Amino acid sequence: MKKLDEIELLRKLCLLFGPSGCEGAVSEFISEEIKDCCDSLKKDRLGNIIAHIGSGSRKKIMLSAHMDEVGFMVTEVTDEGYLKFDTVGGIDNRVLSGKNVSVETKDGTVEGVIGSKPIHLKKSDEREKVPKTSSLYIDIGLSSKEGASDLGIDVGSYATFSSEFYEFGKDGGKIKGKALDDRLGCAVLILLMRELYGIRDTLPYDLYFCFTVREEIGISGAQVAAQTIMPDMAIVLETTAVADIAGTKDSAKVAIQGEGGAISLMDRSTIYDRPMVDALLAIAGRENIPVQIKKYVSGGNDASHIHKSGVGVRTLALSAPTRYLHSPACVVDKEDYFSMIKLLSALLVSDVLAAI
Amino acid sequence: MELKELIFSLCSLMTVSSFEEGSFDELKRLLNNDFDEIKQDAVGNIILLRKCNKENPPKILVDTHFDEIGMMVTDVKEGGFLSVTSIGGLDRSILQASDVVIYGKEKLRGVIASTPPHLRGSGDSDKTVPIDELLIDTGYSKEEICELVPIGSAVGFAPRYTELLDGCIAGKSFDDKACAAVALHALSKISADELAGDVYLVLSCHEETVRIGGIAPAAFSLDPDYAMVIDVNFARTPDTPKAETLELKGGVSIAHSPITDRRLTLMTEELCRSKDIKFARVAAPSTTGTNTPALNLVGRGVPTVDIGLPIKSMHTYNEILNLEDAETLGALLREFVCSNEIKEAFAE
Repeated sequence: MKKLDEIELLRKLCLLFGPSGCEGAVSEFISEEIKDCCDSLKKDRLGNIIAHIGSGSRKKIMLSAHMDEVGFMVTEVTDEGYLKFDTVGGIDNRVLSGKNVSVETKDGTVEGVIGSKPIHLKKSDEREKVPKTSSLYIDIGLSSKEGASDLGIDVGSYATFSSEFYEFGKDGGKIKGKALDDRLGCAVLILLMRELYGIRDTLPYDLYFCFTVREEIGISGAQVAAQTIMPDMAIVLETTAVADIAGTKDSAKVAIQGEGGAISLMDRSTIYDRPMVDALLAIAGRENIPVQIKKYVSGGNDASHIHKSGVGVRTLALSAPTRYLHSPACVVDKEDYFSMIKLLSALLVSDVLAAI
Repeated sequence: MELKELIFSLCSLMTVSSFEEGSFDELKRLLNNDFDEIKQDAVGNIILLRKCNKENPPKILVDTHFDEIGMMVTDVKEGGFLSVTSIGGLDRSILQASDVVIYGKEKLRGVIASTPPHLRGSGDSDKTVPIDELLIDTGYSKEEICELVPIGSAVGFAPRYTELLDGCIAGKSFDDKACAAVALHALSKISADELAGDVYLVLSCHEETVRIGGIAPAAFSLDPDYAMVIDVNFARTPDTPKAETLELKGGVSIAHSPITDRRLTLMTEELCRSKDIKFARVAAPSTTGTNTPALNLVGRGVPTVDIGLPIKSMHTYNEILNLEDAETLGALLREFVCSNEIKEAFAE
């Protein structure tokens, strides 16, 4: 099998259908990609993938990225064949109207559109407002409820954004797509596995690569993965908001896109392990790989569940600064993606973490 | 070309009002000599002629507007972000996190920025962002983008077409280029012998922006005997009032209005009945939101019938139509331009 390059791998991952609780397609793809570069591969009861590289005798490091993406769930199929929905994970209602979506059917997905009342028929005060999610509906072209049930679409069916993945900006240096949160983290893990498997005998650690479920709803599958592995340390690969766009005051900026992966010191649910942070910064300095500190205390990720699991786990998070998170048009900088891979690879072949 | 492909091709062209001209050459390539004449007038209307084989033929004008809503670059901000203003009735609630194309010195892709969670606040997400606060992410630095994208450049929604179920399709600028595609498709398939008169298809400009659309100068120079204005109309959805909307797959709309010609309207309805063409009446008690009022008053006045193709989510990048309605519209146009009864009644 020909190996996909970094961008093609990310493209394939982002285009997969995988809202929280429905990660099957993503899990299948990842299992196929990594099956030849690990010593063991298993899927746990919740659906997390845990792939082990090593003999089992060294310090255990868990590396984790979540497979799920924000999406939607059908809450009602109307008599006219429209699908009422609610969000799975946090989605700003301002990015919903008019967007393309994919809807789960009994055999695959069909395309749909979130309908929008024509502006001509909106009264003047209505034109200043964004419709509430509860007033929106997905149009898949049907005109009856029966049409939907024939396709297996019913209350509880999942949907996601359907959004083109493309490169843009100077020299195509930016990537736009849905679900970069956190398929980018998954891609980083896959690429690391490819790189490290061949030199596994020289690694100072046992590495557990975890592709987890249900991060976006906050009741995270990563907790169960951590309880299974009981690692000494964990590194969470994520995306983080950036807020570096024009007009944002400096104090609200989280990171700067293009200046490397962002290391978290603290967010809404985790205080990160400072010796691990220092070790990563030292490696970055030594290897001259760009990295930055996440400057704003916001958000949260799987680290929240991992660091408090079992007897406690020293935890680090490295995130790609990502514009427009949880929208169909997330944007990352390729250089940040590449530098995250380089930095982690340098970290894991060195023994700095073993000394902590 | 199949009708569906022609709709996609035509709607993919960038024809934001006042930038229609840039697509003239591409349009000509799509037409492969189906028309006897094609020209552009002083304001930007594209006029296509299908000649009939008759002595002293009457002139029949068919209008579909060719422009679309969009945006125009007004400023370049730090970090290479663009500020824009709207062209035409743009709904701000659909803009954030959508894909756009920037038509600067070259075509560039961009994304309309949305607000990160920690800056969103708690109570504000029912308010749309004012157009002058929206930013387009270009992925270039300010210096680079200033070189590539002059102020005044057009920004359009990125073309993306999706087939939904049951004959529905979704995409940008079906208003009104889907109708233009139907007209081009239908007129190219009629022989000169069948036509009741010379047919001037006007792909008119500036409908979305100027209250009196660009159609007026075209109508003035052509001085037609009678005319059909074809534009999109509102299809019924869960969030629209029943009285102002049409059922999708219910055929075309025929407007009853003081500004349309009553006899021409009734004759067109009769034509539909005799040829088994599905239509629904709509009431427009003052005027129509189409080119009809502009056309009706030109020169000696033009008797006009106003026809609508039902679409959902009008003025978004995912307008939805049903191909069955598009076929119905094509059938009606065909019968209309071939009708000797209408010609007898209106030719001068």
